[in-house]
Amino acid sequence: MNDNKPLHPPQGRRLLAVMRQECRLMLAERTLWAVGALFLLLVAYALGNGLVQTASRDRAQAAVAQADSDTRAAQRVLLTGILAGTAQPTPFENPADPSRMTSSYGGQHALLPTAPLGPVALGQSDLFPSQFQVTGQSRVVFMNPSDIESPWHLLSGHFDLAFVIVYLLPLLIFALSYNLLSAERENGTLRLLLSQPLRLRTLLAGKLSVRAAVLLGPAVLLPVAVLLVARQAGLGGTGSGVGGATLWWALLVGAYALFWFALVVAVNAFGASSATNAMVLVIAWVMLVLVAPVLLNLAVTLASPAPSRTELATRQRIVTAEAMKRHADLMSTDYQHVGRGAILVPRDGKIEIAGRLLGNYLIEKEVDEAIKPELDRFDAQQAGQQALLGRFSAVSPAAVAYEGMTALAGNGTRRQARFESQVVAYHAAWKQFFFPRIDARDALAPADFDRIPVFAWQEEPPGLLRGQAAWAVLQLLVPSLLLFGLAAWRLRRFSVA
Amino acid sequence: MKTRMLLSLVARREFLERLRDGRLYWAGGLVAVLLFTALAVGWAHQREARAEQQAAQAMDYRDWLHQDRRHPHDAAHQGMHAFKPEAALAMIDSGINPFIGSTVWLQAHRQSEVKFNAAQDATGLQRFGNLSVGWILQVLGPLLVIVLGFNAFAGEREQGILRQTLSLGVPPLRLLGGKALALAASLAVLLVPAALVAAVAVAVGAGEGERLDALLRLAAWALGYAVYLGIFVFVVLGVSAASSTSRMAITVLLALWIGQAVMAPRVMSELSRAWFPSPTRLAFNQALGAELKTVSDQVWQKNFGTTERWGRDVPLSKWGIALRLDDQASYPAYDRHYGRLWDTWERQQQVQEWSGLVLPILAIRSFSMGMAGTDFAHHRSFTTAAELHRRRIQDLMSEDLVAHADPMGDRHFAYQAAPDLWATVPPFDYHPPHAGWALAHQARSLAVLCAGLLLAAAFAAFATLRQRAL
Repeated sequence: MNDNKPLHPPQGRRLLAVMRQECRLMLAERTLWAVGALFLLLVAYALGNGLVQTASRDRAQAAVAQADSDTRAAQRVLLTGILAGTAQPTPFENPADPSRMTSSYGGQHALLPTAPLGPVALGQSDLFPSQFQVTGQSRVVFMNPSDIESPWHLLSGHFDLAFVIVYLLPLLIFALSYNLLSAERENGTLRLLLSQPLRLRTLLAGKLSVRAAVLLGPAVLLPVAVLLVARQAGLGGTGSGVGGATLWWALLVGAYALFWFALVVAVNAFGASSATNAMVLVIAWVMLVLVAPVLLNLAVTLASPAPSRTELATRQRIVTAEAMKRHADLMSTDYQHVGRGAILVPRDGKIEIAGRLLGNYLIEKEVDEAIKPELDRFDAQQAGQQALLGRFSAVSPAAVAYEGMTALAGNGTRRQARFESQVVAYHAAWKQFFFPRIDARDALAPADFDRIPVFAWQEEPPGLLRGQAAWAVLQLLVPSLLLFGLAAWRLRRFSVA
Repeated sequence: MKTRMLLSLVARREFLERLRDGRLYWAGGLVAVLLFTALAVGWAHQREARAEQQAAQAMDYRDWLHQDRRHPHDAAHQGMHAFKPEAALAMIDSGINPFIGSTVWLQAHRQSEVKFNAAQDATGLQRFGNLSVGWILQVLGPLLVIVLGFNAFAGEREQGILRQTLSLGVPPLRLLGGKALALAASLAVLLVPAALVAAVAVAVGAGEGERLDALLRLAAWALGYAVYLGIFVFVVLGVSAASSTSRMAITVLLALWIGQAVMAPRVMSELSRAWFPSPTRLAFNQALGAELKTVSDQVWQKNFGTTERWGRDVPLSKWGIALRLDDQASYPAYDRHYGRLWDTWERQQQVQEWSGLVLPILAIRSFSMGMAGTDFAHHRSFTTAAELHRRRIQDLMSEDLVAHADPMGDRHFAYQAAPDLWATVPPFDYHPPHAGWALAHQARSLAVLCAGLLLAAAFAAFATLRQRAL
């Protein structure tokens, strides 16, 4: 070889040549078509399913909101009628009575809307409640899962895009590239290729980029396009910040795919047979995708167990019994309105509240105060668990990717915790509005209806979303780079024979 | 005699082979470590949950008995709690338990739903699955069979051994029998010790009087898994015989495994829900509320000649009678609405059980939960018992209210019952159904599994007979 010439000329054009050649080869083979078609099918089904589920959730929420506003409007009409003397209230249906309006008779729902990327990762959306009817009762009473869902489905989980990407994309990556180098070597073509002025690295890069393009195209571009169309058609979530979230979602999917490609390269770099490569990759998949997240979940639950709900139920019963005892006198009074309907009608802006209703109000109020420390303990424990998980989820790239995707789709634990803390704040505002009026026996007037607190969801700031997504991407990039490093080290002494 | 010797020869050789190439050690060892971890975790969780539930249930009833003099309806409002006892076999398959809660509040006026499910306190990762013996056997069990057996025929064909064996006049079906026996023995070496440990754990963990039942359940449970893994033994051997190379065999088998273990549960769950949709909470509540109002109006009209609550026609002194009438009228309405909802869920589950014919994981999942006592049928039995107890409390309290209807005319709620009234309510003493009941409820999934085994064996026999030595 001539000393003036570099051993390997610039590789840019050769990379293109390799890619062209790979494209041609793969198009001629059946594998690419089979894998590509299967993947498209899975992505399409998952996306369609996500859109259908999200749309039905949105419909259910819209129905709840409509029912709330209808109820409130009817109560307003009734109140106007009562004040005009044309309608007669009953003790339990009396919109002038603040103790009634603070109960489930007047309570309104706080709703967690679907995030723009909601359909791509349904996450915990079927498990965590997205609606609470906030009343003057303690939140231990109303902040419980309320959606109707068969437990078998909750156990199975959803077939959404996040599932296809986290579980199935790695397998398709394997199908296309488990024999990236081993096949060339087994066929004897590797020796031939490397006798050309072509670096092994260039060859690998060319092969990888073609395969990545085949898989990432459907995984990233198709969902983005479908979501855009769906939004135009009024399906899927609404809201701003879609662009940013979509970009981060694409980066996350890319980083996750990169990890598995890096693993494939690293395994190939050890120079074992195609069969061994396939076996090692499948075992790695079983360990990282199936087993590690389950063990991680178990470890976190053992390290930081949730407080006992049984204990909470007992505690709730005890504080309720104590409060009932304290207000036994009020609870012993009879309803006084029989034959004296006027007693239910406000006079000079004041209203008489029946003894038992007042007793119930006081009992609920005291239960709420007494049970608060217990509930705070639950919240703190849950936050602690999630923080622990965040620290160790790097153990499994699947866990990182899944958590990252559900967070971007707005169906993760953090957005849910945000919703619940906003509901707690709304509950406080609700009590703040009604309780002083009950204490002062102030009757509600139609004008007061406009001042009743309304729940307004405050979306997560985009910065928070970006930060979490960037952290997830980083947690995927670091192991990928390590694997590429390992591959580079092994490839230096790769034997083509 | 000769055929039996031949069978055992083939089996012994296959088994030794598997020991020699180390597959049994590392793949089996890994599964064994996971199994014992899961068992230990399940055991610890169950002990804790049982102790807690028993203590809570006892305390609940003690507090009920020790109430002071008070108005019976207030006592009924405060009610009692029913805590679902943790099944003895929950330690090996927690089933739907983490997703359904374990506490029912038995309160006045309305049928309560079970609340406090563990899933609401879990991390975002719970959707990857809960580590349990059942999960490992369902998901990783078939993979183990595949790893141990994918090259049983294909590998020998590649090495040319198959040709020699067949040329010796060994009948192909006997070869299949020997290989199946060897594969089953490899699995047994791993799983029988685990099953024995599980049996000891279950026997020790079960309470007095339920030990025999728990062991019977465990035996049936183990039988179900034997059939399930048996299906895969034949499928793996059949595919291995039908494939030209072991590479082809492993590819097909892994694809089948992923399709059934990873994708099928989710896909079938979505499909069954599309076929038998559950109502939304709002729709359910509205329908129930409307019917409760209608039946209540009917009884008021019939008994009091008016639907106006608490007027001159119906003074508060009739409160006890009215409450009893309302309650009695509401019971069938609750039964209808909840019955319809639960029937929908059971129909959804039936779809999945039937699909177990092609996707055995769905049948074994149902069977496993059913025998472990952690499926929906058991849950429904508990909820129904809890609701009956609630009705009993309400009826007893209302009866006392009727007996002590206000004589003064306007002091109805001033009445306070003496503490001996509380003792008329028995404790909530729930015993889960017996093993036979569970087996009868799971007859369909067991039949589906057995049919699957026959189909798989037929497929393996067909593939073995048709295979080519080269």
